Amino acid sequence: MTRRQKAITFFVALCVLLVAAAVSLNIGWILITARQATPLVLGIISFALIIAGLIVYTVFLVLEIKRNEDHDTFINAVTHELKTPIASMRLYLQTLQSRDVDDKRRREFYDIMLADADRLHHTVEQVLKAGAVAQKTRSLARAPVDMGALTRECVQLALTRHHLDADAIAIQAHDGHPLVVGGDPEELRTVISNLLDNAVKYSGEAVRVTVSVAAPAPDTVWVRVEDRGVGIPRKQLKRIFKRFYRVQARGLRQIKGTGLGLYIVRSIARAHGGRVFAHSEGEGRGATFTLELPRLAS
Amino acid sequence: MSRVLIVEDEQHIADGLRYNLEAEGHDAIIAADGERALALVLEERRPFDVVILDVMLPGKNGFTVASELRAAGQFVPILILTARGRAEDVLKGFEAGADDYLPKPFELSILIARVNGLLRRRRWNEQDPPPAESPVDVFTFAGRTLDFGAMEVRASGKSYRLTVMECELLRFLVKKAGQPVSRRAILEEVWGLDEGTDTRAIDNFVVRLRRYIEDRPAAPKFLQTVRGVGYRFVPQP
Repeated sequence: MTRRQKAITFFVALCVLLVAAAVSLNIGWILITARQATPLVLGIISFALIIAGLIVYTVFLVLEIKRNEDHDTFINAVTHELKTPIASMRLYLQTLQSRDVDDKRRREFYDIMLADADRLHHTVEQVLKAGAVAQKTRSLARAPVDMGALTRECVQLALTRHHLDADAIAIQAHDGHPLVVGGDPEELRTVISNLLDNAVKYSGEAVRVTVSVAAPAPDTVWVRVEDRGVGIPRKQLKRIFKRFYRVQARGLRQIKGTGLGLYIVRSIARAHGGRVFAHSEGEGRGATFTLELPRLAS
Repeated sequence: MSRVLIVEDEQHIADGLRYNLEAEGHDAIIAADGERALALVLEERRPFDVVILDVMLPGKNGFTVASELRAAGQFVPILILTARGRAEDVLKGFEAGADDYLPKPFELSILIARVNGLLRRRRWNEQDPPPAESPVDVFTFAGRTLDFGAMEVRASGKSYRLTVMECELLRFLVKKAGQPVSRRAILEEVWGLDEGTDTRAIDNFVVRLRRYIEDRPAAPKFLQTVRGVGYRFVPQP
């Protein structure tokens, strides 16, 4: 048991004890004042208030302890995500500085350092973006965005970034009219890229991702990202969109990330008047994420 | 040629380390996770001379790998690399049986120097008798022998292997024999840590040392607790 679990157990036990004490005092009060209506009613009401207060207090305390835990996990993950590329870049720079590296190796090293710089940039972007989307009073640039074209662009980027073959991510495009939504193209690109990155990251060795753009109803647009990866336990399907939350499952190997990606996705989807939801048949059976946005009337 | 095992899941860092170790004339092998590292060290016919171990690994983490290796009787020197440079993490690494640590990002020259240091120590231990230039490094008291050169404690017919850190702590206590030694002094002078550290980790080390040298570890005679201060080593109680 971790220190936090112990703290939670302690506070829940304390709450049960206090509630039990309050209930017995309440019963005592009822027995003593059975024939006097005013003190009886007042007593019962105040005891009920005390009991309710105790329960609310404990619930908040436990929630706060849990949030604190998520926050710690986040700090650890971000520390790792920031320090690892820096450590790698320094290692290669010091190698180049102190040894005679032949030309072919030298070029390899440059590529590696560039990839590290990109990774660092990505982490910093995620953290900044998470801060930006949390601000409730931000104004959104709105322009018509063709989701089909945007999705194809994001898929190309993901293929390059993760060094994948072209058939690793299949696109099922919508025929007919372009599916246009009103929104900020940069933010919508972030949403689709985050979903694609997750699908690739949680796929393991064999990446087989299907992306579809469709109109399930005349006034809505869906972008669906489906993978055949590690899947998500049913109970966690909603919690994964919370800030800092990361899927916990036995046997799931540690996959790196900050716990911000899906939080950003949900925040942006909501700011666009849409929503995002996840579906999974369970662990080891893949996951499907659907982004639903209102379609712009043409 | 020395064989070095690099346990690191970040491929860039693992490849960079391998390049440098090979340039230093070592043979370097990479394991991308803890399970593979354990299998390589415990089953490989040719033993490794040093293990460079990352802490944040998929599956079993570095601390677990180190303690499982020690539990299986493998005393290959371990250098822990960790992005979590907090003093608690460092001490946790030493408790798990690591011999040395470096926080990430690290200085390449220092890493190479530390690896070579561990390799040198390993060669001394393997040479028997010890080379002339290394001083005979043995302390005997009450029928017990602390052999710092061989990193061993021999007491009542049994012998125990020591990790570098256990060795250093014992050496420090012997040097200050008879005087009380504070936990802070141990942190600063033995481990070179000076941050605000949870000093209880030292207590775990002392518990282990007592198991090696005391007849009744619960009622220690040689390695005494000095309340409110720390510890005192008394060779002739």
